[in-house]
Amino acid sequence: MIRTVWRGMVRFLGSARLATWLLVVVGVWSMLGSLVPQGVPLESAVKAWAASNPLAESVVNAIGLHQAFSSPFFLACVLVLGLCTALCAWRRTKAAIGKGRTLRQAAAAAADRQSLTEVHDLGIECDPAPNGEEVLSLASGTLERLGIKTKRRDEVLAAVSSPWSVWGSPVFHWALLALILTLAGGQLLRAHGLMGIAVGQTKADAPDSYGVVSSGPLYDWGSVHRSIRVDALEPDFVSDGIDRGPTPTVSLIDGAGNVIVKQRVYPNMTLKSGSLTIYPVTYGLSTTLSMVTTGGVETGREVLFVDFSGETTSGTVPVDHLSLSDKAGNLRYTISATVPLDRRGDAFVQAVPAQPTARVVVSTPDGKPVLIGAISPGERIALPGAAGSLQLDDVGYYARLQVVDDWSIPLLYAGLFVALAGLTLAVVARQQIVLVTVVEGPDGVKLVAKVRLWRNSSSSRSEIETELTRALSGAEKGSTT
Amino acid sequence: MTLEIVLMWAALTFYAAATAMYGIGVTFSKDTLTGRALLVSTVGLVFQAASLGIRWERLGHGPYLGFYEVVNALVLCAAAFFIVVAWRNPRLSAAGIAVMPVTVLLLGGSMLSSKAEVAITAKLASYWLFIHVAFANLAFGAFAVSFGCAVAYVIRHRSAGGKWVRRLEKLPAQDVLENLTVRFVLVGFLFWAIMIATGAIWANEAWGSYWSWDPIETWSLIVWLIYAVYLHVRFTLKWHGERLAWFAIIAMPLALFALIGIPLAFNTPHAGIGGYGKDL
Repeated sequence: MIRTVWRGMVRFLGSARLATWLLVVVGVWSMLGSLVPQGVPLESAVKAWAASNPLAESVVNAIGLHQAFSSPFFLACVLVLGLCTALCAWRRTKAAIGKGRTLRQAAAAAADRQSLTEVHDLGIECDPAPNGEEVLSLASGTLERLGIKTKRRDEVLAAVSSPWSVWGSPVFHWALLALILTLAGGQLLRAHGLMGIAVGQTKADAPDSYGVVSSGPLYDWGSVHRSIRVDALEPDFVSDGIDRGPTPTVSLIDGAGNVIVKQRVYPNMTLKSGSLTIYPVTYGLSTTLSMVTTGGVETGREVLFVDFSGETTSGTVPVDHLSLSDKAGNLRYTISATVPLDRRGDAFVQAVPAQPTARVVVSTPDGKPVLIGAISPGERIALPGAAGSLQLDDVGYYARLQVVDDWSIPLLYAGLFVALAGLTLAVVARQQIVLVTVVEGPDGVKLVAKVRLWRNSSSSRSEIETELTRALSGAEKGSTT
Repeated sequence: MTLEIVLMWAALTFYAAATAMYGIGVTFSKDTLTGRALLVSTVGLVFQAASLGIRWERLGHGPYLGFYEVVNALVLCAAAFFIVVAWRNPRLSAAGIAVMPVTVLLLGGSMLSSKAEVAITAKLASYWLFIHVAFANLAFGAFAVSFGCAVAYVIRHRSAGGKWVRRLEKLPAQDVLENLTVRFVLVGFLFWAIMIATGAIWANEAWGSYWSWDPIETWSLIVWLIYAVYLHVRFTLKWHGERLAWFAIIAMPLALFALIGIPLAFNTPHAGIGGYGKDL
């Protein structure tokens, strides 16, 4: 019973029809997914689309099309497609073993003219009957015109593919399966996120250091012992005559504090170390603020990030804020900062201003501003309620880095290489057996041939038959035995 | 008007003339005209290659930035693929009745579009760009020829017993045409796969993510899946004949849409690269 069910399941999953339909479903689903913005419902693009397409949104949302490529339906299809690919690869492997054996036997049979005269696919009477040598010469020329180059072995013309020629398709399918598994495994074991780091600042590679972070369920943060430092940021770095854009110099530091790698990071020049890749997404300004008691003692220092924005009067918006609590741990104030930018014409200059100042806003926990003031580096602003003062130490740059820790990328590259090699072999290598010889008997000369054309042949069996017949015995077709 | 543009207009004129000659030659069984159409197509190809060569030399980068260059390179590859195949197998020359109109429409469209010069930016400054785009062009060339062979197949199949059979009898046998269609689909499928693979590697180098499901990436995968379905129905479900030919005919415009239409329709991180320099 179990065996019957198992066999039925294997037959179902291994059917070409199912694989084909799954390819269609994945393709159609991807088409639909490309038509709507992808992301969680809170994202602005998704919200905007939902607002302008309320009717369609109800359907799109219900079927999970906004997360088309991580939806359970899509993942289930890919999973079943992976199983189909595994079974398909297994079958193709068995077929390749069989074909390889046939090719080896055919290569050996090229030396065995007798067996060819007894068992063949085509038999063409030669009329008028030239001698065997002429027939073979004519046949060789005809086949060459059809793109089949033969080798003469005694009295047999042979065009037999190498046994390795049949391995392209199995290798391609196994590599596809390996790619699917690597992608799936990579998702479970990878971590990626965005980390903002001010110039001169060092951050540990830990979830708390990221603004946005996502890690697979099997990713072990406990085993990560490294830090990332931004040493410098050049807003307009130029090399080889090409503006590389805002370019941070990033150091990767191991658990013992040693610098492992230090380099400029820009598009096509990502920082790579083992499975880690660091790429600069964007940059902004940073304000370093110190808390100072009424007695003049510094009690803490924080870096607040500021992003460029064309929609505000100052040209910047705060990214994060500083929280001030009382001794009992109750939140008293939140502090945010922006940096008014210099202007060039109508546009803001996205750089540290010539005379930098920070516009500090101190708000109560319910968001009500209680203090707004502008301070330059070295200046202080007194906080309300005798809570000390706030000093601006510095205005500089920060880099928002995309940090990806994914061991699967080299494996993916290797899988892609093997898949492409297999596919190339499947596309380029011919899989054919063409054996031709001549039988001379009392009835005249007869050409006999064994023809197997599996893949990538330059001709077809019917064309070979027609052309050989035309060359050897006039226009009519030969007899097929 | 610069020499570059004059040459391109000349190429378009020759392609248009070749299209007309193929049309007349096949319709009225004028084999000489069909043969000469191939020669005229070749002259057009030389002019187009010369024009693109001049632009390449002038701008310092290949024809892969901006709508004008991207479409031009696609046309060049489609025409070159067809012409090489037709010179090697003159009986296939009549397939130009399907391939050359496509080149004329695309080249005409690109000539009417902006010929803006897009500079190499930081994200584009990679040798992967050349490899990625080259294989996209080669894939399209192969798909265009498969389209031509499939159209020739369908025309003859539909006119079985009619006067068109006589006119098309110089074409290779139907099974050979089908075999050629499949082989060009296979070649295109391989090149498309290389395009996707090199694109993923380049994306990882350029912006740290090998696959982002942006519309261009998604559509390149969709086209690859479509041709994967084609190959499955051909090799495992044993489809043959007219319906297989129709499959190849319908699939090619989708490949074209993925290459040209999607970058125009969507503003994606990719759009700056494929397209046409909107945003980087």
